Amino acid sequence: MTSTATPAWLLDSEVGLCPCGCIGTRKKANFVDKTIAGSASLLRRAMFADDTSAQPGLLQRVDPRIKVLSLVGLLVVTSLVHHIPVLLAMYLATLPLAVASRLSLRFFVKRVWLFIPIFTGVIVLPAMFSFITHGHIVVPLGHWFGHRVGLTSQGLRSAGLIVIRVATSISLVVLLTLTTPWVELLAALRALRVPRMFVLVTGMAYRYLFHLLDSVTDMYTARKSRMVGRETDVVAGRAFVGASAGAMFGKAHALSEEVYSAMIARGYNGNARTMNRFRLGVQDLVWVTACLAAAVVVLGWDHAIGR
Amino acid sequence: MQSVADPILVVDGVSYSYLDKFPALVDVSLTVRRGEKVALLGANGCGKSTLLKVLDGLVFPDAGSYHAFGTAVTEQHLEDQQFSEGFRSRVGFVFQNSDAQVFSSNVRDEIAFGPLNMAMPLDQVKRRVDDTLEMLDIADIADRAPYQLSGGQKKRVAIASVLVMNPEVLIFDEPTAALDPRTQHWLMELIVELNRAGKTIVLATHDLATLETLADRCAVFSEDHRIIADGTPEDILADRRLLLSVNLIHDDDPMHEHPHILIP
Repeated sequence: MTSTATPAWLLDSEVGLCPCGCIGTRKKANFVDKTIAGSASLLRRAMFADDTSAQPGLLQRVDPRIKVLSLVGLLVVTSLVHHIPVLLAMYLATLPLAVASRLSLRFFVKRVWLFIPIFTGVIVLPAMFSFITHGHIVVPLGHWFGHRVGLTSQGLRSAGLIVIRVATSISLVVLLTLTTPWVELLAALRALRVPRMFVLVTGMAYRYLFHLLDSVTDMYTARKSRMVGRETDVVAGRAFVGASAGAMFGKAHALSEEVYSAMIARGYNGNARTMNRFRLGVQDLVWVTACLAAAVVVLGWDHAIGR
Repeated sequence: MQSVADPILVVDGVSYSYLDKFPALVDVSLTVRRGEKVALLGANGCGKSTLLKVLDGLVFPDAGSYHAFGTAVTEQHLEDQQFSEGFRSRVGFVFQNSDAQVFSSNVRDEIAFGPLNMAMPLDQVKRRVDDTLEMLDIADIADRAPYQLSGGQKKRVAIASVLVMNPEVLIFDEPTAALDPRTQHWLMELIVELNRAGKTIVLATHDLATLETLADRCAVFSEDHRIIADGTPEDILADRRLLLSVNLIHDDDPMHEHPHILIP
C-alpha cells in the first residue's frame, strides 16, 4: 500500500474504451505507424544484408579489399563507356554474378530498378523532349507556339544511356554491399589507406544508428499505446515529432559523452587501431584478372563502336 | 574478512559538482586496499557512479585528491602517455550502460580495442581475444554486430573488453542491474572468482540482496552525496536505521532475509 491516496477514477474501469474493437473505425496508418514500420524495415534490410554476405557465394569468397578496388575500377569503366549496347552487356553480366553470389535474382533486379524511376527517371525525363534535346522527333506529342513537340531520338538515346549507366553502377554497388559484411567493408577501406578517423566515425555512426533507432521506436510505440481514436490534431503531431527529434538529439549527445568515456577508459588517445585479418588467395587473383580482362574488352568494344 | 593489504586507491576529501552547480560528491574519502571487494551503496543520484568515474580517472575532483598505486591521478598526469597507459591497463571500468561500452562494429574488434590501444603486439592481442571469448563463453558471437546481441550478451562483451586488458582493479557500475536472474548469477560468480584470483573489485549498487556475495566492505552514501558509513556487509545490513536514512530500504519493507548465496 502506498502512502499517496489513489484517485477514485483510477480504480474504475473505463467502459468507453472496450478492448474488443467494437468502437471506432478502421483508418490508414498515420505518421506514428509509418515511423515504427520504417525503423523496423531499416533493421530488416541491415539484417538481410548481413545474411546475404554470410552466404558461401562467389563474391563472398573474394578479399574485401580486392572487391572494393575492383568494383570501384568497374564503376570508372562504366562511366567511360558511351554506347548503350556495351553498357547493357555490362548490366547483364552483373546478373549471373548476383546468382553466383547466392543473391535472389528477383530481389537484385527489384532493388536496382525500384530507385531508378524515382531518382534518375525524374532527372532524364525533360531531356527526352524536343524543347530540351533538339533532333529527330520519333514520338510526336503535338504543337506548342507553332513548333512540333515530341520525344526525339537523340533525347531518348541520352536518357537511355544515363538510365542504363546508373542501373549498371547501382548493380555493382549492390553486389559489393550485399556480399561484404559492413565490418569487413570498413576494414577494407582502412586497409586501402582511407583515414582511420573516417573509418572509425563511420563505423560508430552505423553502430549507434541502430541503438538510436531503438529509442525512436520506443518513443513512437509508447505514443501509439496511449493513442485512442484517430490522430487528427496535426499541430500536436508536429509538436510530438519536434519534441522527439529534440529528445533524440539530447540522448545522442549524452550517449556520445558516455561512449567517449568508455573509449578513454580503455586507453584511447586519438589513434584508432584495428585488427587486420585479410589474406589474399588464388580466388582473389582470378577475380582481379577477370575484372581486368572485362575492363579491357568493354573499353575496346566501346572504342570500336565509336569509330 | 577484511584485508589488511596495502592501499592502492586513495580518495581524500573529494568534492565534485556537475556544471559547477549540481553537487555529486561532497568531501568524500575512501581507501581501497589490494584484493578487496568494496561496494558503494546508496540511492539513485547519490554520487556512486561519479565516484567510480573519479576512481577511473574519467572525471577530476573540484577539491581533494585521488591517488592510485601511490601516484596522484590528475588530468595533467593522464596526458602523459606512459602514465596514462599504465593507469588504464591497471584499472578497468565496466559501465552500467553496455551500449555505451560496446561501440565497435563487431564483438571481436570490441574486445581487441583496449589491448590495441595499449600497443600490444598483434599476435598477443589475437590470442588474448580468443582466450577471453572462450572464458566468457561468447566465441559463437565473435563476429556479430552489437545490435544483434541481447542485453546479457552485451554485458558479457563489455566485461570481456575490460578483462582482456588484465587490470588489477575492476570497477563495476551497477553490475547486476537490468539483467535476467541467470546472467546476474553468472556475473556474481565471475566477480567472486576474479576476486579470488587476486583482482581488486569496486562496485556501485543499491541491490542489498547481492551485497554479502559481492562485497567484503561497504561504503554507504547519504542522499546529500557524502559517505556516512563504512563497514562489513553484515554490520551495514544490520543497521536498519542507517539504511532507512539513506533511502535503501522502505519503512514497510521487511529486511532482505535471503541473500543470494553462490554454490561453491
